[in-house]
Amino acid sequence: MRIIAASGKSAVMRNSQPDSPVSSSTDQLPPADAPAALTQLFESLRPDLLRFAQWLARDRAIAEDIVQESLLRAWRSRDALKDPAAARPWLLTIVRREHARLYERKRLELVSLDDVVETQAFPKVAEPDDDLFTLRHAIMKLPIEYREPLVLQVLGGFSAEEIAHELELSSTAVLTRLFRARNKLRVLCGMSAAPDVAGDPVAP
Amino acid sequence: MNCQEARLQIGADPMAHSAELQEHLEGCADCRRFHAEMGAFEADIRRALARPPQLQRRARVAPPLWRQLALAASVAAAAVLLAGVWLLRPTESLAREVVAHVQGEPNSWFATEHISAADIDAKLRQAGVVLDINSDQIMYAQSCWFRGHYVPHLVVQTAHGPATVIILKHEPVRTRQAFQESGFSGELVPVGTGSIAVLTRGDGNIDDLAAQMQQEVHWMPDAH
Repeated sequence: MRIIAASGKSAVMRNSQPDSPVSSSTDQLPPADAPAALTQLFESLRPDLLRFAQWLARDRAIAEDIVQESLLRAWRSRDALKDPAAARPWLLTIVRREHARLYERKRLELVSLDDVVETQAFPKVAEPDDDLFTLRHAIMKLPIEYREPLVLQVLGGFSAEEIAHELELSSTAVLTRLFRARNKLRVLCGMSAAPDVAGDPVAP
Repeated sequence: MNCQEARLQIGADPMAHSAELQEHLEGCADCRRFHAEMGAFEADIRRALARPPQLQRRARVAPPLWRQLALAASVAAAAVLLAGVWLLRPTESLAREVVAHVQGEPNSWFATEHISAADIDAKLRQAGVVLDINSDQIMYAQSCWFRGHYVPHLVVQTAHGPATVIILKHEPVRTRQAFQESGFSGELVPVGTGSIAVLTRGDGNIDDLAAQMQQEVHWMPDAH
């Protein structure tokens, strides 16, 4: 499967359909030049995009703005999407760039973790498993330079090479960030840290 | 590949299985242990990320007027776009997603454990639903994430065998529609501003259950 981005860059996807509670089948889709089919396709991917944006932005309202803006950008650039089957990674890339653009443009204020802690209004529904709650909280505590590649890899299905291309980093740097992201999560979840591959201490 | 390289690869992508790594693991018990540990942890990470975080909306400083006007124009354009999407969205895609969801929970058909009426009621109320049905008929009850909302996913024992009922408060359908997809027979039934999906394996009769559910489901006005 190929990503055909608005910029014209492309990459080979390793896994464009990661496990997801929201089914987003893109099999047997009509041609991308059919506006109704395309709007339907975009809309079907919206929950995935919103989830991705929420894990990046850690703010529901900002995530909704990002997805809205991304869908408008995608709609304007719809001619760049040659293969509807590549819509998901294409849109995820747009969302990531919109998130990065928003932070660069607005220099958003730092968000206190107390403000972004998951609400516990429906603890029985949302988090029946305490360990999972701790882990979700730990993921949100990760600095963006670790959270972003992790979310791209796990939710986006992007390979380390694709993430490196998207973040303009070397593959080794991405591997190190992914290693450290998981190592920090281990520590935040009360597990022992694995010895850091770069030899530096890993602090939460 | 040495231990440091193996650990970097495992820690960076525990799901990766390169031949080089495999070869190293066969001869290194420490890295094999680390691989197993990270594999289990990775499953938790994937489960943790599978749902969006439940975030509170934060109050933000009002932007300048020109930005508000630009935003209003964008919102209006988006509303038109979404209205178009909403009107054009075919019910077939909803049916397909319902079937895909049910296929993702194959064990639901074989559930035999008794579920208390209180548990069922709690699951339904979490999704903003009240259901007047005999709890003895319900063999399986879960709150499932579907199209951006938690929805009740039930398996009900009928005279014709088990049938799945998914209550879709946020998915309106215009008329009652039958569908056949991937070995399942189903119906989408409008209820108020939402709908109910009833389906069974093969060609089972679900008309009675669909009609019953249509009568017995009520939306809670104050639900999220």
